[in-house]
Amino acid sequence: MNRLKADKSAFVPTKTGKKRHRLSRALICLSYFLVLFPLLILFVWSFTGRWSWPHLLPETFSARALGELFGGYSGAVQVLLSSILLSTAVALIAIAVSVPAARAIVLTAFWGKDFLKFIVLLPVIVPATAFAMGVHMLFIRVGLSDTVVGVILIHIILCLPYTVRIMSEVTAATGDRLEAQARVLGASPKKTLISITFPLAMPGIISAFCMAFIVSFSQYFVTLLIGGGTVTTYAMFMFPYIQSGDRTIAAAYSLLFVLSTLLVFIVLERRIKKYYNIEDVFFFS
Amino acid sequence: MKLKRVAALLLALILGFTLFISGCGRNAAPPQNQKGFDAVVSAAKGTTVNFYSWGGDEKINKWIDTVLAKNVKDNYGITLKRIPMDDTQTAITKLMDEKQSGVDKGSIDMLWVNGENFYTAKENGLFYGPFTAELPNFQKYIDQDSDDIKYDFGVTVDGMEAPYAKAQFVFINDSSVTPETPKNAQELLEYAKKYKGKVTYPAPPDFTGSVFVRQIIYDVVGYDKVNAAGTDKEKIKAAIQPAMDYLKELKPYLWKEGKTYPASSGQLDNMFADGEVVMDMNYDPNTVAAMIDKGTVKDTARDFIFDKGMIGNTSFLAIPANAPNKEGAMAVINAILTPELQASKYDPSNWGALPVLDNNKLSDSEKQLFDKIPLGKGVIPQSTLLSKRQPELPASVVPIIEEIWQSEIPNK
Amino acid sequence: MSYSKLKICLMLLPLSILMAVFFIGLINGVMESFGVFPAAGLTKLTFSYYQEVFQDSGLTASLLLSLYISLTASVFAVAAGVLVSTAATVGGLARSKFFQIVKLPVIVPHTVCALLMLNLFSQSGLLARIAFQIGLIQNQEEFLSIMFDKNSFGIILAYLWKEIPFVILVVVTVMANINGSLGEAAQNLGASKWKVFINVTLPLCLPSIATSFIIIFAYSFGAYELPFLLGATQPKALPVQAYVEYIYPDLAHRPYAMVLNSIMIVFTVFISYFYYRLESRLKRTGGKNEPA
Repeated sequence: MNRLKADKSAFVPTKTGKKRHRLSRALICLSYFLVLFPLLILFVWSFTGRWSWPHLLPETFSARALGELFGGYSGAVQVLLSSILLSTAVALIAIAVSVPAARAIVLTAFWGKDFLKFIVLLPVIVPATAFAMGVHMLFIRVGLSDTVVGVILIHIILCLPYTVRIMSEVTAATGDRLEAQARVLGASPKKTLISITFPLAMPGIISAFCMAFIVSFSQYFVTLLIGGGTVTTYAMFMFPYIQSGDRTIAAAYSLLFVLSTLLVFIVLERRIKKYYNIEDVFFFS
Repeated sequence: MKLKRVAALLLALILGFTLFISGCGRNAAPPQNQKGFDAVVSAAKGTTVNFYSWGGDEKINKWIDTVLAKNVKDNYGITLKRIPMDDTQTAITKLMDEKQSGVDKGSIDMLWVNGENFYTAKENGLFYGPFTAELPNFQKYIDQDSDDIKYDFGVTVDGMEAPYAKAQFVFINDSSVTPETPKNAQELLEYAKKYKGKVTYPAPPDFTGSVFVRQIIYDVVGYDKVNAAGTDKEKIKAAIQPAMDYLKELKPYLWKEGKTYPASSGQLDNMFADGEVVMDMNYDPNTVAAMIDKGTVKDTARDFIFDKGMIGNTSFLAIPANAPNKEGAMAVINAILTPELQASKYDPSNWGALPVLDNNKLSDSEKQLFDKIPLGKGVIPQSTLLSKRQPELPASVVPIIEEIWQSEIPNK
Repeated sequence: MSYSKLKICLMLLPLSILMAVFFIGLINGVMESFGVFPAAGLTKLTFSYYQEVFQDSGLTASLLLSLYISLTASVFAVAAGVLVSTAATVGGLARSKFFQIVKLPVIVPHTVCALLMLNLFSQSGLLARIAFQIGLIQNQEEFLSIMFDKNSFGIILAYLWKEIPFVILVVVTVMANINGSLGEAAQNLGASKWKVFINVTLPLCLPSIATSFIIIFAYSFGAYELPFLLGATQPKALPVQAYVEYIYPDLAHRPYAMVLNSIMIVFTVFISYFYYRLESRLKRTGGKNEPA
């Protein structure tokens, strides 16, 4: 399939060109291997009982991870579904916040702009332990502690560095000239937004959605601190197993984590592409 | 004569009656208590209890989700919701924040806790209580005078938490790989020399690594000497110096020549399962059975202990001062202290945790519940473990020893 | 298009509110480093925690280690990520569905990544087993000490596996778009494909590349998970040190963790400042018309 696609690309068939082409193809194949091999191990571990030195393949297999995930008693599947909903909401709101902010940052001039551009990065740099307590106290005071809204808000804060940066890049790359043209040609602001702004920003929006979803989906410390028992997430189930070193269960949880995230992305991209008639590949599908 | 007989008979009757009355009297206290507890139970009916519990073990989680949750649903109409934690400290931090902000209704009803976290919580008044005296099963089955119940890492419990499970530190190795089972620190050194590069322990402040260092201190220096040193860092340092010297002597024979140590107990478990090291250790003696059962190690793996004894602790259940459903939590804790649930928890196919009930207070049929349960594979019998049980050091001393280890061992 | 002041304010309002929440939290944390921590009964402003931490000889070692890890990881991740993106772009694979799998590690959590790396590279890992089976080594200790070593190769390797795909994710779509539209135009004008790529496409991708760099640098400087799980016991990376202080059971110890966190923040602010100087220069030379 790759060969087909590669051959389709118009390539100047010089000698050095061919050599480089082959080299780049080899590099791509190597990266496929380097990505897929560890993921294959994740798959194998999900069903492994014992796998000791010096065996290349597991000695025994075990279905206990299946029981934990799908046996019904742990509630993992229900939690997975509610976590997907939660993280989707977080990612959408993060984008809704980031799109106008990125436009303001990129397309307009205002005092403190560079400062703002820098400080939105801080939530990535600063460990959650440094600010989570302060946020928790604030949320207690305003009644957001132990609520879903509180959890969504703190997740959004953690997503902002990614979404604002990605949206800024996209806005900078596309600019607002097309929109200006459309307005000059008489399109209403609403029409401009729907038929020009959104389709242009869509690749960025999808990338930003994916990053925000991943960030939210893997939070556990802040979720527990801010949400208490009101919000239990998949990550809260998964991370104690990773921490305690139970590789079989941890691998199975992780695999389901990766697969369900992938599924969310694929469904989302399909829908959006169908709606906007875009053929680009943004993240996965 | 006749009069004497009548008098004797009367006396006997009176005596018997008094005994009966006093017997009633002795039983009369619990019923009164029972009445108080009945109110608790009826208030708890139909409520939900949020149980914050460390979530890193599949079997423990399963036991809570299936056995315990079903039991309290059937008996008290309570819905038990398990909130998995990766670290109990998060819950303590949460309670701390809430206390500072004056939240009188939090979200944690019940917490699995012990040691340093209990110490912090008690110091800061984060827990509700004393409440254990109000639990009928605590009165009925628990030996309230035993040190295991009275103290939690040297801190007096004062009814602020109810016992949940007992644990005792053990070493683990595989008889098909290494037939030796070192009986003291000196033999452990010989063992490490023989299997050079295949023995190690997690770096404190990992819970297991930390107890390993204390175990070495107990064996080399003795519990009494360290305990007598109090909480002064210099005094403790002087007292445990021989143990630190021992660890330095041991160091070159360890995994990666002791230049680095596994970061967590889980990592060591995995290295043992992989055959990268020949010895494992755990604060739960049943871990070996669980590992065999899960299939991660061969069934020739087994516990072993030092002759002088091994450190044991009790883990507890506490109710936060701002718990929204204290009655529900009390009912659940009372249920956990029944012989049925303690026995089911003791069953290695469920969890394998050592029970906290006093054997002398159990009826024959209740004793049978425990006797029926087979010993987990590779596990040392409970009676042997308990006869070789050493107390934990005070919670405030533990981090000081961790600091001393940190500055003395990995760098030198 | 022109924007009124009010409109700009409205566009920035939600972001500003959320950032304000974050800063309230952060200031609270930073105050703890100055000994203002009512929860633990500390209320007096003091610099003593900073003094103590600065006097500790381990601090420099930790700082250097963190810097070494995050710089190495982010430089190599960006280099490799750009290389793969380039290969995919010139190979015409950037839009193929199959190529998207190289982005998969972005989804995998860092702690899971640590498990995977241990499985592969530890002395009982799969590579060591293969070396043993083909007779290269006789026992585990002979295998390279990659994990837990003072050279931190294990941590860097794990970061690379996670972050190279992140660079590709951020860069490849932009690169393919630019190369597709501008590249064709330039080629019609007679430029060779490679010349076009190097002189036109790559400079235009620099902002995206820079974004991925700064995010990876910032993350790997501040995260404790991988250095904690795969690093040597000593010296500890700065975030690991902060984490260890944070989980110290005595709450009166929290200020030390916050001191270390503050040091990390100040340090990244400096680095980011230089980065911004560099970025704005790149933008000027990159011929980018950023309307501002």
